[in-house]
Amino acid sequence: MASTAVQTDGHRPPDLTSGERRALEDLWRVYGAHYDEITEETKVALADDPEFGPLIRSIPEAVLEEQSRTSKELLRRALMEGDWQPYFADLLQQGAGYARMGLSFASWFRALSVVRPMITRRLREAFGAEPDRLLSVMDAMGKWFDSTMGVIGDAYLSAKQETILEQQEAIRELSTPVLTLMDGLLLLPVVGVIDSHRARQMTDQLLQAIHQYRAKVVVIDITGVAAVDSMVANHLLQAVEAAGLLGAAAIVTGVSAEVAQTVVKIGVDLSRLRTVGDLRGGLAEAMRLVGFRLGKAESAAD
Amino acid sequence: MAIPILKLGDYLIASIQSALTDADLTRLQDDLARQVGDLRSRGVIVDVTAAEVMDSFTIRTLLDIAHVGKLRGADTVIVGLKPEVAFAMVQLGLRLDGVATGLDLEEGLAILGHVREPTDGG
Repeated sequence: MASTAVQTDGHRPPDLTSGERRALEDLWRVYGAHYDEITEETKVALADDPEFGPLIRSIPEAVLEEQSRTSKELLRRALMEGDWQPYFADLLQQGAGYARMGLSFASWFRALSVVRPMITRRLREAFGAEPDRLLSVMDAMGKWFDSTMGVIGDAYLSAKQETILEQQEAIRELSTPVLTLMDGLLLLPVVGVIDSHRARQMTDQLLQAIHQYRAKVVVIDITGVAAVDSMVANHLLQAVEAAGLLGAAAIVTGVSAEVAQTVVKIGVDLSRLRTVGDLRGGLAEAMRLVGFRLGKAESAAD
Repeated sequence: MAIPILKLGDYLIASIQSALTDADLTRLQDDLARQVGDLRSRGVIVDVTAAEVMDSFTIRTLLDIAHVGKLRGADTVIVGLKPEVAFAMVQLGLRLDGVATGLDLEEGLAILGHVREPTDGG
């Protein structure tokens, strides 16, 4: 899973000149002094926010305070000592947490636009007399915000990526059930899009099931497959051949008119497949092969 | 290492292990071809349950065994292919065309028993 997720480690600290580093230290001297005050003000300002409001109310006061204290210390180390990694790691974790809670990424910019003027105001109070210094602190603040949002953005992306992977996994598991209909007879209903990964998994499950249930006949129903290209057809052939090697005959049913047309048009030779029009016919044929006969019970006919 | 060939009624049974050299396989083929005639066997079952890998030479030998057997009057069934092995085979495009395959020895015997009297729904 980790290999396909968005790479979130290796966030580099922002490239800073010595001037910028001094500016960040200035920034922290002002921000740090008013940190708790600004946090309080932010909370008040965001209380009516449709997304942040309920969120802030839902988290216990003690947890918020603890988090704020931790963030403050991490930020101090980042700004004053250039120790950015722990700060980024914390941001990543928080970002992922909020992403999972359903907080939108856009809302972070709203929060930013609330906090920024609060800090700016205090910076002006502190450095109003020195416009050059004020300006460089403001620039440094911009850099800090940019890298912060970059990290949070990554946290959101990887959280989403994780969700997608989990769902893909769930879909895969759901989508390839092998059903035992009766002794020696298996049904493999295929629904949706077949890619190579799924085809592989499907064939694998089918073979395991044949082995496990000692199946003589498998019916592969592809009614739910919307499109068949040469690759899918090839996978189907492989599944049937592999089943044959384990001594099970395969019957393919539910080839729709469109699918049949495409297969003929692209020139895939499916003549080695035993095909029956619909599932009903396929099952009848399969039962004939394993030696069952389906009919109304005598008593019901009376 | 010679592969032992067991006689069971009208049938011959040979079991292939994974660590076989090409020479062993060729020898099995020769032995089977001879014994089918000597013992007037009607069927040959080659059990590959213990084989973790099936290379192209093994497959070709199995096919040859089946064809030679057929000429000598015996049907051949390959049994015991593992799911993984079967999957790998089709992916590599290795086929056992024209040779009956069964899940295990029991199935193999059942298949041979039915060769001359096909199932009729009972």
